[in-house]
Amino acid sequence: MLANFNFRIIFEYLPLFLTGLKYTFIIAIVSLALALIVGIIACACRISGIKVLKYPAIAYIEIIRSTPLLVQIYFFYFGLPTLGITVPEIQTGIFALMLNSGAYIAEIIRAGINSVDAGQIEAGHASGLNYIQRMRFIILPQALGVTIPPLLGQAIVLVKDTALLSLISVMELTRSGQTMTSERFMPSEAFLTVAFFYMVIYFCLKPLADWSQKKLIFREAY
Amino acid sequence: MIEFKGVNKWFGKLHVLNDVNLMVQKGEVLVICGPSGSGKSTLIRCVNRLEPIQKGEIIVNGMSVHKSSTNLTKLREEIGFIFQQFHLYPHMTVLQNIMLAPVNVKKITKAEAEKIAREKLERVGLAEKADAHPIQLSGGQQQRVAIARGLAMSPEIMLFDEPTSALDPEMIGEVLDVMVDLATEGITMCVVTHEMGFAKKVADRVLFMDEGKIIEIGKPADFFDNPQTERAADFISKILTH
Repeated sequence: MLANFNFRIIFEYLPLFLTGLKYTFIIAIVSLALALIVGIIACACRISGIKVLKYPAIAYIEIIRSTPLLVQIYFFYFGLPTLGITVPEIQTGIFALMLNSGAYIAEIIRAGINSVDAGQIEAGHASGLNYIQRMRFIILPQALGVTIPPLLGQAIVLVKDTALLSLISVMELTRSGQTMTSERFMPSEAFLTVAFFYMVIYFCLKPLADWSQKKLIFREAY
Repeated sequence: MIEFKGVNKWFGKLHVLNDVNLMVQKGEVLVICGPSGSGKSTLIRCVNRLEPIQKGEIIVNGMSVHKSSTNLTKLREEIGFIFQQFHLYPHMTVLQNIMLAPVNVKKITKAEAEKIAREKLERVGLAEKADAHPIQLSGGQQQRVAIARGLAMSPEIMLFDEPTSALDPEMIGEVLDVMVDLATEGITMCVVTHEMGFAKKVADRVLFMDEGKIIEIGKPADFFDNPQTERAADFISKILTH
């Protein structure tokens, strides 16, 4: 099969793929950074015990987790203009990815916080530390250890989820494969190249995840 | 120093503290014993408001513990609490464990806190472990660090919730030695324990609880040699015969 591949054409389209890769990378980084902020806020609201914060946070998290990302992307892509908001596709895409990943990240952080032993929190209480101090010095440092591996997992998922933005014509990696396919009708070459670049990103992130996993096991030995 | 006035507490339907009235004097060492589930841990956990109560009042140093207007931080500054499972912070060194509350609650400088922390470590015989992590210490050593952590706040009261129950037998002695040392220094102590040797040696009074009630309270010699109730006599014979 590979013998029939036309590698020359891949090189010819390389600038297009690199542009696609660049956008995929930017979209993923920006979405992830925003999703972290959204996730932290949503998680803080979720565990706050204040009803006007808690229930909207639960609703947000559950709605996002119960619907497909593609539906969410289409919802914002077609929905925002009807509200009079017209922004470039790429921004709509980042917005959708941010809300989507944010919900998962909120739950990852919450699981991390819940994993901290209740006795640790009591020890903080007993020594007179207030809520913020207990969070900052006792709970979050311990929660972080358990949170980082699943967060990196979510980052990897997010990178691959950016491919769905090709469907709202964002010029990212998958879209560059589609473009080459429609111009030259060589889908095998196009999507093999696309897949290769996703793998490159994946294998850059994976060692980080493995490393943090090892750090975590060390922590748990405490 | 610590006063219980008609304290009642329920866990759901379980009446875990049943009309407790008690006065602990300044400098007194009170040992609390009783069968498991009798409410003795709950009793001391109420003193620094780790547990709410439903009826009655506890007064510590003139502060009504469960009143919402009470400054909880100030209350807890004056009370050290030692847990059965130590609860040292695993991500911090021994020194950091001890310095955390003095720096952040008492707001003293780091240098001062470190000086105090090293002093207290010296006192529990673990000066050389300042930079170790809790995982690297034995159970007995961890509990001594926990005591040093409590002492670093210079509390007037120390509460001990079964401090030796989670330890291997050969480590119980080292922790009790530290506690005996404390007891002879005039710090007010309430100790939930089954270590009757400790009670005989340093307790001013022994309190015996069952089913949430104070059944008996008296000097250790009287309590052990001449218990007034059958339940206490039965309990003593059980713990002293093995």
